[in-house]
Amino acid sequence: MVFNSIAFLIFLPIVVLLFYLLPHKWRWLMLLAASCVFYMWFVPKYILILLVTIVIDYGAGVLMERYADRRKLKKTVFIISIVSTLTVLLVFKYLNFLTANLDQLCASLGMETHLLTHIILPIGLSFHTFQSMSYVIEVYRGHQKAERHFGYYALYVMFFPQLVTGPIERPGNLLHQLHEKKEFCYENISKGMRLILFGFFVKMVVADHLGEYVDEVYGHLDEYNSWSVLGCMFFYSFQIYCDFFGYSTIALGSAKLMGFDLMDNFRSPYLSKNIAEFWHRWHISLSTWFRDYVYIPLGGSRVKFGRWAFNILVVFVLSGIWHGAAWTFLLWGFAHGLLHIIEKALRNRFPSKESQSKWLKIGVDVLCVLKTFILVTLFWVVFRATDLEHLKAIFVTAFTNFGGGEQMSVKPGMWIYLGLFILSDIVLRNTRFDAWCEGKPMAVRWMIYAVLVFMVIACSSVKNFPFIYFQF
Amino acid sequence: MKKLLIRIGIVLVMLLILNWVYSKWFFEKDLRKHSDIVELSWQVIDDSCRIIYLGESSNNHYGDEESNHRKISDFTADYFPTMKMGDLTKEASHAQTYYYMLKHIPATSAVETVVVTMNLRSFGPLWIYSKLETPLRKQLVLLEDYPPLVNRFLLAFKAYPVKTEEEWNELVFEHWRNDTFSIPNFAWRTNVDWDYGMYSYGWYDANGQRDWDLTALACHYIKTYAFEINDDNPRVKDFDAIVDLCRERGWKLVFNLMAENVDKANELVGKDLMLLFKKNHDYLMQRYGSLEGVTVVDNLNLVRDVNFIDQDWTTEHYYEEGRRIVADHLALALREFYPDDYHNPDSLKLDVGHYFLGDLRTLDKQHPYSMTLMLTADSIRPDWDMVNVAFELKRQDDLCNPVFAVEKHGVQGEKSIDSYAVKEQIQKNDAWDFATYALPVDSVFRTAQIIKLYVHNFSDSPIQIRNLDVSFRPAYLKPRVKAQTYKSADANDGK
Repeated sequence: MVFNSIAFLIFLPIVVLLFYLLPHKWRWLMLLAASCVFYMWFVPKYILILLVTIVIDYGAGVLMERYADRRKLKKTVFIISIVSTLTVLLVFKYLNFLTANLDQLCASLGMETHLLTHIILPIGLSFHTFQSMSYVIEVYRGHQKAERHFGYYALYVMFFPQLVTGPIERPGNLLHQLHEKKEFCYENISKGMRLILFGFFVKMVVADHLGEYVDEVYGHLDEYNSWSVLGCMFFYSFQIYCDFFGYSTIALGSAKLMGFDLMDNFRSPYLSKNIAEFWHRWHISLSTWFRDYVYIPLGGSRVKFGRWAFNILVVFVLSGIWHGAAWTFLLWGFAHGLLHIIEKALRNRFPSKESQSKWLKIGVDVLCVLKTFILVTLFWVVFRATDLEHLKAIFVTAFTNFGGGEQMSVKPGMWIYLGLFILSDIVLRNTRFDAWCEGKPMAVRWMIYAVLVFMVIACSSVKNFPFIYFQF
Repeated sequence: MKKLLIRIGIVLVMLLILNWVYSKWFFEKDLRKHSDIVELSWQVIDDSCRIIYLGESSNNHYGDEESNHRKISDFTADYFPTMKMGDLTKEASHAQTYYYMLKHIPATSAVETVVVTMNLRSFGPLWIYSKLETPLRKQLVLLEDYPPLVNRFLLAFKAYPVKTEEEWNELVFEHWRNDTFSIPNFAWRTNVDWDYGMYSYGWYDANGQRDWDLTALACHYIKTYAFEINDDNPRVKDFDAIVDLCRERGWKLVFNLMAENVDKANELVGKDLMLLFKKNHDYLMQRYGSLEGVTVVDNLNLVRDVNFIDQDWTTEHYYEEGRRIVADHLALALREFYPDDYHNPDSLKLDVGHYFLGDLRTLDKQHPYSMTLMLTADSIRPDWDMVNVAFELKRQDDLCNPVFAVEKHGVQGEKSIDSYAVKEQIQKNDAWDFATYALPVDSVFRTAQIIKLYVHNFSDSPIQIRNLDVSFRPAYLKPRVKAQTYKSADANDGK
């Protein structure tokens, strides 16, 4: 079930109503059933894969706690759990890519092989496997008590607001909330509704309208000139941000209606001054996952520069591959890692001077934000390209075809929607929409609601753009 | 709770205001942008448009090499030069689309008669669950009967089937797999069985090699036409809704059942598929042909293989001759409603089941025979068991002795003539009057090699005769042309 559908608009109020009507002891069951319905709305049979992961990791959690004092056995259970989860990921997400490349490699060596598989990726696989793994790791480390109730554990992995596109929750944040008794609270409803409304605006009005231009230009590169392709790069940066941010915001709002607080996934990432800051603000649940479970175990930053650079590259390449099984994603992750290393090296070489005047500092900050945005935008091209050939075609057209081809015409409404979003992103830099509304007079608040409702209904794109991160 | 109720109240007021704003400044623009069928009807239907033709690609397709690109609706309109016929054609449309198109014709319009394309293929799963359904159904959302803002809300939240091509295909396969044929002792259980049977058995070329192209085409004919229409078919429900709507709006309704390539279906697949054609055809004719205020123009078998543009696929795209045949047939049905506006065309063979000889002849002792319709027995379909004959006649006095004759030549050269007196049917002198006959298509008809239909007058008193109209049909269908509506421009001659 997708958030921007009539089905979800019917489903959500029913679930919320049932949640508050049922006694606490039955709520987990209702939420689990609702989550199953939500997931099975896409392709019902894929729930079996989810079930396998849940059963293995639940069992692993219980066993690891039982054999806490037998380190070897605990470690074996831990490894079995991680390997089995990663195997699911490998088979369903990476096998097509691996077999295709093996076929190509063999062909280049003069051997004809037909290893290529055509396995369909179950929706949200990367998200829920990572969420499940975080539980196993936390239990192994002793930071989290194993969940004894299978239903609650299954609900932790399957909780529908964040099931298919995150945020990738940690057991420390979500599991205990699922056990807590939630009372009906107007404030939660109000905050949840605000977030959902704002999420719909960001996704349906901004992201989907931008998507129309991006798909058109990237799909017909030979017809457009360089300015159009450059414009399209700029638009894609906001499309992917608004698409994912919109989804996360709706997820947060949906959970909030029932009193659950999910972690923030974005904090105005395009206002970052450097790539390190960008990753503190972009897809926070994933970047902190990699930080806690890959980067720090590798040694983090408390190592020599060379080793640190290696750690960073490993983390970013893994992050790239996490997004998708293609060379473009690997390249995208590598580019981010490399930029991170270069920036750090430059900062070490040229430390900022404290004595700068306030205005000079603001000027430098603005330039840094622009620099980071431009580089991230260029990297998004790598992310968006369907393959390396397409990537090459985009860059060639973007920088060599200023004279020929059509100029993409952008409707004024598009600039208004994008302008409104950029303004909101600046205003909401250190806060969330629901909290920001809190302090406003009632008339202003309702005026904002009216404008958003109207825009979501009357100005949203009518083209069907699935959430971009669904494919991961 | 009070707080909540106040908020709900505010939301309701807000929505009412937003609906007003949207209706006033945005809705029409959105309709033009997202529901172009309404835009189309706004362009086409004006105060003078009395007949509208609703069609799909069968109306506006022409062969690449053809210089004449005129549509079926254009050819039909030629018969009614004094009337304006509107044409609402949209590719891949079907009954549901037509229903919405009709629903949005303004009540103030001058529309009197609605011609709705009825496409046999559109009743099958291949069309019902076509990938084109997503954009088509999306177009209809803004045309729902809700307030404009609600319609736009439904459009924004995709209240139409958003499915990928694979998902649509899966639905089609589901029906092919699960819909069983209800015909007793039928050779095939489901479409899939039949398709597989054809694939396994297949076609071979002259060298005895498997002809995969022909086999694939035969399989495609099975996929397209091997289904049974019943009351649960969604298209039947849509056509029923059109009937109700037309009754409500006081419109005359004509369903124009399009010609399919039955020649090729018969050649490639054979009698089992022909049986389904007949069954589905009979279902539609019985369901709609007998309804008051509804006319079904039956073109199903009229167009021959050579007149179909697409030879390697199933479509209703005809070359000019095919388009003309359908148009002529339709015009004849419309003549029933607009006899005074009907422009008498040249003598024309309309179709294998319907013949019209529009000449005017004077019959006297020297020239006793009228124009003659000559048929071969193999042109009479097995399901035709009635023949309706009508012509117009003007006499000077009652001394004339006109006779309508059916002359049958047997295989051995034997000849028999059935004669029917005309005199009783003619009441007036010096005025055009009508003679009509409903005759059974008996065994003599079927075994004869050649059949001739004509009128003769051997008397001294001359008569004039024109517009010999002969139509063959199954007995349960009402005559397509009612003699009492034959009123020509000079029908009141002599008054």
